Amino acid sequence: MRTLRLIGIGGALAYRALFNWTTPAMYVGTLLAGPTFQLLFFAYLGRQLQVADDRFFIVGNAVLAASTACVFGGTMAVANERRYGTLGHVLLSPRSRTVVFWGRVLPYAGNGLLIAAFTLLMGVLLLGLRIPAAALPGLALALAAGSLACGFFGLTLGALGLRFRDVWVVSNVSAALLLLLTGVNVPRDGLPDWMITVGQLLPITNAAEAARLLAAGRGLEAAAPALGRELLVGVGYAVLAALLLKVFEAESRRRASLETL
Amino acid sequence: MRTLRTLLIGTVLRAKHLSRSPFEVALALVIPLVQATLAVYLFQAGDEPHRLLEAAVGAGLMGVWASVLTGSGGAIQHQRFEGTLEIIMLTPRHPVLVVLPLTAATAVTGCYALVATLLWGRIVYGIPIDLAHPLAFGAATLACIAGLGMFGLLLASTFILLRNANALANPLDYPIWLLSGMLVPISVLPAWTAPIAAVLPTTWGARALREATVGGPVWPSIGICLALGTVCLVLGAVLLKSFERRARASATLALA
Repeated sequence: MRTLRLIGIGGALAYRALFNWTTPAMYVGTLLAGPTFQLLFFAYLGRQLQVADDRFFIVGNAVLAASTACVFGGTMAVANERRYGTLGHVLLSPRSRTVVFWGRVLPYAGNGLLIAAFTLLMGVLLLGLRIPAAALPGLALALAAGSLACGFFGLTLGALGLRFRDVWVVSNVSAALLLLLTGVNVPRDGLPDWMITVGQLLPITNAAEAARLLAAGRGLEAAAPALGRELLVGVGYAVLAALLLKVFEAESRRRASLETL
Repeated sequence: MRTLRTLLIGTVLRAKHLSRSPFEVALALVIPLVQATLAVYLFQAGDEPHRLLEAAVGAGLMGVWASVLTGSGGAIQHQRFEGTLEIIMLTPRHPVLVVLPLTAATAVTGCYALVATLLWGRIVYGIPIDLAHPLAFGAATLACIAGLGMFGLLLASTFILLRNANALANPLDYPIWLLSGMLVPISVLPAWTAPIAAVLPTTWGARALREATVGGPVWPSIGICLALGTVCLVLGAVLLKSFERRARASATLALA
């Protein structure tokens, strides 16, 4: 119970403290308008090139929409503590730091889910996508799984921030690579084998596959394997993040470089 | 002559400044290549390999615009964070002569994106760089730099009034890429977007580059790009002065 409290309340408090740049204008501009324009861009490009139908791009970009908030949020959960000089206080906590940092991912994942749902709604309203009502719970599950995996992916990148000075370069490049490697905008069978393999190890890839099956009315049974893989990827990044945080925390204590910027 | 010197030295200085930031350099190096790769696979998937060169040029121009947009938003914001905005606004020259080099430098450095995507396409995907009008392509590139730099100034002037200029700059990448026809032809967009596209210098810059690549009347497009850029420059200068006065009057230049 105490652990759940630490995850829930600790995560929410840290979110409010570290997400301080979120003014309404910034939120609407960056997290709602940006993904909607991205969706329109790829949908029209797809129509022109006849790569795939609208559903392919709308659903793919809706899943991708969560990545900005989740990847950068997860990174911020660690990197901003360092930037604001409070990382030492967190690492002095007598409670498990792994649980503390895992808890931080949840609000970002929740935010990602909201953004993904908004982007999907924009696809429905602006481009006339039709989704069977029965598919909605499954779709929510797929978007949530993608957001959570993205959040843990971001936390892994944030953990690198304990070792490397400029973790934002890594986050920005990673976010751009998600666009290319996860198959949200390019059908994956058109990509080289190594890109497909790397894509399988990234968040979103399987969530997008599951969401597309669900939006096509194929049902939860058909989407379950992809959903399972997405959750597995998320768990993988959660474990990797915990390991990296432990290793880099120990190393930064040993080298007295904890708050070196 | 003094004005040209101010603009030139300011642009070179800002470009040098940008080149000292590992963050800026890393992003400028990598992101255009990712975009070019994405464009190549999309065009290949769409069974349009004959348009790969066009795709590489379009992706490069997208990189130039991304650089200008980030730079324009960051030009004022960065000076504000560094505490130098008030100092540069106190210079005895017109503010436009101080701010234009900040945005022009981002267009100049953004040109790397154009060169990089072409080379990336040639080396990695074997796309022949077979330009229909090589000389006009060079002229179109220069016109794009000038046009986009002046458009950037217009954006930067509005950012003086905004505390979080990024809120406006962040979502503007995709709409301009879309409306300017950098990868998607404007003809496939809804009809109401056509007048908006027609008044953007980016539309004519992209068109000039495309015509220089695949053939077509390049020079009229270059002329319109520069003319619209000049309109942006004049508008930007007026707005910059007006916003600067308002910010001074309310003593919010460094805070706004």
